[in-house]
Amino acid sequence: MSHIIIENLSKEYRVDSQTIAAVSGASAVIERGRFVSIVGHSGSGKTTLLSLVGGMVLPTAGRVLFNSTDIYQWDSDRLSEYRCEKVGFMFQSASLLPILTAKENLLLPVAFRSASLQDGSDERRAEDLLRSVGLGDKINSYPSQLSGGQQRRVAIARAFMNRPELILADEPTGDLDEDTEEEMMQFFLRMNSEHKTTFLIVTHNTDLASRASVRFRMDNGKLQAL
Amino acid sequence: MQSLISFSFKNLKRKPARTAILVFAIALLASALVFSISFVTRVNGSIRKTAERLGADLIVVPTNARGAAEEVLLENQIKSFYMDRGLVDRVRAIEGVDKVTEQIYLVTLGTMCCSVPEAMVIAFNQDTDFIIKPWLIEKLKRPLAKGEAVAGAESAFNIRLGLVDVDSMLFGNVFRLVGSLDKTGTGLDNAVFIGMENMDAIYASGKAKNVPPGRVSVAFVKVKPGVDPSKVAARIEDSIIEVDTMARKDIGKNIIATLKDMSRIFTMTIALAAVMSFFLVWAIFTAIANERAKEVGIMRAIGAKESHIMILFVIEVLVIGVIGSTLGIIAGSVLSVATTKTFSIVKQLSTDLSGAERLTIAAVSFLGGTLICVLGALGPVRRLKRMEPLLVLKSE
Repeated sequence: MSHIIIENLSKEYRVDSQTIAAVSGASAVIERGRFVSIVGHSGSGKTTLLSLVGGMVLPTAGRVLFNSTDIYQWDSDRLSEYRCEKVGFMFQSASLLPILTAKENLLLPVAFRSASLQDGSDERRAEDLLRSVGLGDKINSYPSQLSGGQQRRVAIARAFMNRPELILADEPTGDLDEDTEEEMMQFFLRMNSEHKTTFLIVTHNTDLASRASVRFRMDNGKLQAL
Repeated sequence: MQSLISFSFKNLKRKPARTAILVFAIALLASALVFSISFVTRVNGSIRKTAERLGADLIVVPTNARGAAEEVLLENQIKSFYMDRGLVDRVRAIEGVDKVTEQIYLVTLGTMCCSVPEAMVIAFNQDTDFIIKPWLIEKLKRPLAKGEAVAGAESAFNIRLGLVDVDSMLFGNVFRLVGSLDKTGTGLDNAVFIGMENMDAIYASGKAKNVPPGRVSVAFVKVKPGVDPSKVAARIEDSIIEVDTMARKDIGKNIIATLKDMSRIFTMTIALAAVMSFFLVWAIFTAIANERAKEVGIMRAIGAKESHIMILFVIEVLVIGVIGSTLGIIAGSVLSVATTKTFSIVKQLSTDLSGAERLTIAAVSFLGGTLICVLGALGPVRRLKRMEPLLVLKSE
């Protein structure tokens, strides 16, 4: 069974009197556990495609099937549950909440989960994930006490907190130096192989893109397999 | 849920000055509620209880002495006024009248006549009385003998008559104070009561010069069952021009009129305070909503439902409302107690608020303060909870 099916997906925005097609008739079939990269110029519609797959914006046309179910048939609460429990997001910037520590930022998606454990396992998982991204000594640091790269790594760890089936990452290693970028890449590949997590990564980094098992290019809103 | 609560508290601590302003505004509103409701309840309660406890349907007083009688009965003021005793018999003869009993109000003038501080001494007719006797029988189990007196509850406290069987000089005569009555909540609590049969000796002493023999202060009237007291009152006033009547329901009419004006002022002040608090909360939460739009977008993107966003902000609003209202209730209660000592109208009231009344006022003020806080924040928070999660991606 295919994990994600993107079916003739389009998204148009109206700006003043003009209609802009951010995504135009995109289609793709992504099997479970695939590591997928999408490359393309700025403004080609990559981020919009990611947000459509993530259930964050209604498409103008087409469908997104997750485990054979059209996610846009769900109501707002069910879509939130999907984003919380099935999907892990990495945005273009770290997007951490400034008044929460690194660990608390990781525990935030847990607070939104429909069933949460009270046995401390979530706290342990948050600490383990922070150690996995090299921030074992920054567990109780606030975002303002972290560098841009460290904040990015906290956001990466947060995406894995609820053991998602799908990771949607928008330029996830953009702020990182080469060594850390490689470390994070290895971390992604390990999560992909160990947990069969599906990755859909938007990137300008050709090296990162080349390591994906499935590669796409976005050009003027159109998705093309490479 | 625990994480959401702790997150809300962190948000409140984020800008302590802003949180303090909101708490202060709600505290002001709640304290205004406590103060004004306490004031109005106390005055209303005092009037109602006095009317209930007098046990008479009508009070007959000399013409133009209505105000003075109310001051004696409601405000514990020391006043004397007199009418001819013969008028009492004329009242008794009016159609519809069942029982009539008269009283004489005497004012002690300290050491010149008496060994007690200035107080009201009420001589009552033990043969016809239905006002004092029920309490007296309950307390003393017998009528007063000649030369005996009982003190009202407050009066006993004031003149240290907690001790019984002490002799006091009243208008040149020695009276044995044989007990004190329970608190009635009326102005009569501040009087000393003697039987009418002592009046001859008092007149003879010459120490009560302003009370001429053959005069009484008031006559209490009970009408026959099924008779409308207002009709009897009209008959009395039509037949006897030397007297005015007060129906039980009219007791405190003048005070009630003043109180209504004061209530209106309080209501307007509270309404203004509520509107101002509402707009302050609304304005501050609109600013908070704008400030935190991106954070809400992040939370929505990582799985927060609209209800989670709502809960998060409602906790913040409730904390502000609860702390503000609690502080306001404390401040309002302190203010109410302080005004008891400074506002003459409150100081002279014969009743205080009961525990249940205080609790009810506190609960109403608490709910009022908290509700205004929640309502003020509702609009901005409802807009915020509907925020598209995409905003976080688009704002990058």
